[in-house]
Amino acid sequence: MASDIRMIARGFWHPPGSSRAIPATLSGTGKTLFVSADGDSRDPLTMNDLIKVDISARIGSIPRRITFADGSMFETADNDAVDHWVRNHRRGGFVHELERFHPRLAVVVVGIILLAFGIYRYAVPAMVEIAVLVTPPAVTQWMASGTLLSLDQAVFSETELSLEKQQEILDGFAAVAAVSGRGPEGYNVNFRKGGAIGPNAFALPDGTLVITDELIALADGDMDMIIGVLAHEIGHVEREHSLRQLYRAAGTAGLIMLIAGDIGTAGEDILTNGAALVALSHSREAEHEADRISVELMHRAGRDPAAIGRFFEVIEAEFGLEGDSSFLSTHPGTAERRQAIADYASELKSSGAP
Amino acid sequence: MQQAAADHEPDLKRGEFRGNAREYFGIWIVNILLTILTIGVYSAWAKVRRNRYFYGNSYVDSHSFDYHARGLQILIGRVIVIAYIVIYNIVLTISPIAGIVLGLLMLLLLPWIVMRSLRFNARITSYRNIRFDFTGKTWGAFVAIIGGGLVSFLSIGILAPFASRWLYRYIFNNLRYGDRRFESDPRLGALYRVWLPAFIIFLVGAAIAAGLGALAIFSIAGSDMGGDNEIQLILAMYGVLIPTLVIFAVSGIFYRVGVRNVVMNATVFDGRHRLFSDLGRRRYFWIVLSNFVISVITLGLMRPWAAVREHRYTIEHSGILVDGPLDDVISSIERSGSAAAAEYLDIEGFDFGF
Repeated sequence: MASDIRMIARGFWHPPGSSRAIPATLSGTGKTLFVSADGDSRDPLTMNDLIKVDISARIGSIPRRITFADGSMFETADNDAVDHWVRNHRRGGFVHELERFHPRLAVVVVGIILLAFGIYRYAVPAMVEIAVLVTPPAVTQWMASGTLLSLDQAVFSETELSLEKQQEILDGFAAVAAVSGRGPEGYNVNFRKGGAIGPNAFALPDGTLVITDELIALADGDMDMIIGVLAHEIGHVEREHSLRQLYRAAGTAGLIMLIAGDIGTAGEDILTNGAALVALSHSREAEHEADRISVELMHRAGRDPAAIGRFFEVIEAEFGLEGDSSFLSTHPGTAERRQAIADYASELKSSGAP
Repeated sequence: MQQAAADHEPDLKRGEFRGNAREYFGIWIVNILLTILTIGVYSAWAKVRRNRYFYGNSYVDSHSFDYHARGLQILIGRVIVIAYIVIYNIVLTISPIAGIVLGLLMLLLLPWIVMRSLRFNARITSYRNIRFDFTGKTWGAFVAIIGGGLVSFLSIGILAPFASRWLYRYIFNNLRYGDRRFESDPRLGALYRVWLPAFIIFLVGAAIAAGLGALAIFSIAGSDMGGDNEIQLILAMYGVLIPTLVIFAVSGIFYRVGVRNVVMNATVFDGRHRLFSDLGRRRYFWIVLSNFVISVITLGLMRPWAAVREHRYTIEHSGILVDGPLDDVISSIERSGSAAAAEYLDIEGFDFGF
């Protein structure tokens, strides 16, 4: 029998429940492993059948640990020797083989980049659609009331608009909202003095719309323009743009977290926030869509469909802003938008019936 | 520690990290690949391999640590956490009241979860075949986490050193290695000495962020482009949010590193061996910052290098001041029996990295 005994590796042996380390040798015969103290090979310190020992999986070049049924543990840095012996007796470590620094890792890198791109391009948008579908109204209401409350505290002050003027706008709006999907009851128009954010209007996902005194002043009595802007906001609500953006940002952040794994605390915050910013670039499409809906609704309600285009003209004249849409700008260039609005309005007019 | 001249000098044993970026790259990239291919399920096993790599390469006194968690344990923990989040969200939409109750329940459960998590993390860590253990109780966690958190929050961070003291006394005074105890009593004076620079960084940074935020809001007012500037509003919030996050991160790093040094140097193992830590705050900050920049520039591909670099610095600036022969510790542990053989049925609690 002595002739079958094969020395496997040298290392340290820890007795059961002890941290004492004894220089020792691991040997094997058949499917039996045993450990003997260096210089005393006749009397094994411990022995077990292969089935009863736990051999830690190979990871990089960290020491290999072989735990015996009695709680004692043999530790060796000679990973290759252990692998060689294990391979002859049972399946080796597939994952470690994959992890070894080897040219094939380049394939893994390329594969991950393609996978990540595929997920970003196809899986995230699909998930966003599903998430939008299953989001209950209670959640959007809660989000909207929270946003409005914090804006009221931070930026807005009470409107200085006369009640008659408010009522006039509300009546005009009700007529347009009546031809929209949600109907007039689906919306709640709020008047505020914009303060730092100036002439502005925006929509919250539950149908809460806010329009600032400054914007109404800018319209200079052009009621179609004001209603056109509000119709644009209806477009955002009906297509659930803000929810989509929120989910897209969350999905992208999730993707980054999945890939980065252990990215580190500060890095994670900044990268995921950056991803959210990039996700906002999608909003250009959303603006175009809302513009088209404004044109449609105004046309159906018997008002001037191109009114929203005039609003951009005023903005341009007032602020002298010009420029083409780019990756980073969230709003398309106003000239481009005006052109698209004018084209669509004349298309609707020529097609006849509302 | 003041030693009598005739007495032996404590022998400083510094940590040593033997991993390298090249080896870890393979482990990291394969972890990502398998995590994506299994839609996240593999992430539990990925965590085990990552931690085994870092623990197994961290040496003190020429022996390394080991990490014993099983992928399945971690997976079950994660499934429970995700299931709770899903159930919480469903309940919240069906009945907001019940949802709030569930949320409060979670808050009450938090100390228990933290306690279990500390215990899990201690018990799956071993050194020289002996496992660590954590004997803290829920009430202690309640005082340390909720009490400490409230005190430091309500005092805008001014009483944060008290919270740190409670927290680390709770952690270290309940930590065991085999049957040996750790004891820690960080001095408030020392904690306040590391707190002061961090607080000054925070104050100066907060002033700069407030200035930037004001600038961002005014720049929106000037560059109004469209009827709905919800997006620009978000951008402005980012203009304030990102600098604020960065300041929190920077002062947080300075404080955490300082606290680590104070706490470890105030911790005694087995009544005489003192732990040791001499991380440089500026040096560590530089490592985190440059790691982040390099990771971003290389689209994350240098992340393994960065992780190894940060880990190496931390390990090499930690250690233990051994007072008297270390063999004494070892043999006394040997006599006291085994904590190693037990296969703990604990599952991963709420992992902070998750």
